[in-house]
Amino acid sequence: MSFEQLVFYAFAGISSLAALMMITVRNPVKAALWLVLTFISAAGVWLLAESEFLGLVLILVYVGAVMVLFLFVVMMLDINLAEMKEGFAQYAPVGALVALVVFGLIYLVVGPEHFGLDKTGLPVTHGPDYSNTKEIAVPLYTQHAYAFVLAAVLLLVGIVAAIALTLRRRGPRDALYQDIDAQVRVRAEDRLTMVKMAPEVEPDVSSKNEEEEGAK
Amino acid sequence: MLENYLPILVFVVLGILFGVGPIVVGYLLGPQKPDDEKLSPYECGFEAFEDARMKFDVRFYLVAILFIIFDLEIAFLFPWAVVLDEIGTFGLVSMAVFLALLVVGFIYEWRKGALEWE
Repeated sequence: MSFEQLVFYAFAGISSLAALMMITVRNPVKAALWLVLTFISAAGVWLLAESEFLGLVLILVYVGAVMVLFLFVVMMLDINLAEMKEGFAQYAPVGALVALVVFGLIYLVVGPEHFGLDKTGLPVTHGPDYSNTKEIAVPLYTQHAYAFVLAAVLLLVGIVAAIALTLRRRGPRDALYQDIDAQVRVRAEDRLTMVKMAPEVEPDVSSKNEEEEGAK
Repeated sequence: MLENYLPILVFVVLGILFGVGPIVVGYLLGPQKPDDEKLSPYECGFEAFEDARMKFDVRFYLVAILFIIFDLEIAFLFPWAVVLDEIGTFGLVSMAVFLALLVVGFIYEWRKGALEWE
């Protein structure tokens, strides 16, 4: 077994193990962290396949950004684990059926008859000067420029959708904070008004009572 | 090509060893006296009243998703910069269209106030 094979089996083994842990572990935050390990080891496998750019982008985008989003969503959902475990036995047959159908479809499309050295041939290994990034980039920006611009449209739709779904205007009562500028600029006549009132003389009740009592 | 990545593999292996090694050594050499109290949450003498997980503002999510979108934009810029002298004017124009579309999105989010935190 060559050194490359050893590295491949290490990455592939970690990847499969982490994927298995990700779907079996109970705590959704831990599941997200196992998914991070899956992504990182999958990036290692991609690097071995000499697609360096895709491997590094997998780490940059998926591990760096998408997993943050996953953790946010997982935390925001406020999941009650006891409720999630309910009805597992009830839905298990349906889930198994769906899994079987999906597996069958994938098997039909990418089954073992499409792979093997007689079908694909040995992968060509390249020298140290080979840049996979260039190999990807040249067709991406010329031959597939239309799809590339469509990607920009998709990102634009993503921006608009995220803002439309989550942005809400908050009223001035939602957050109370000091406007120091206004506080400094305020003058006494803005706050305090002197009101001139005609003096009111109340009838002297107490002296009357005394007089009445004295008469008795 | 792969020989260029040998130093990175060495770093990865060393990183794993540095991370996992102390835990394993601590587990093997340290005394182990398990106790229920050691695992119980300590909150000034009381058991925890409620779950640590709580709902938080959806604006954090908005910031994260906007970050991802512009992160992807940057990811597209790297290979473009590598081959800029090979793809010529057409490549330049295609990137200009790409960036123009995203600038529309950027202006939209700016004007909408999605970048404001108040």
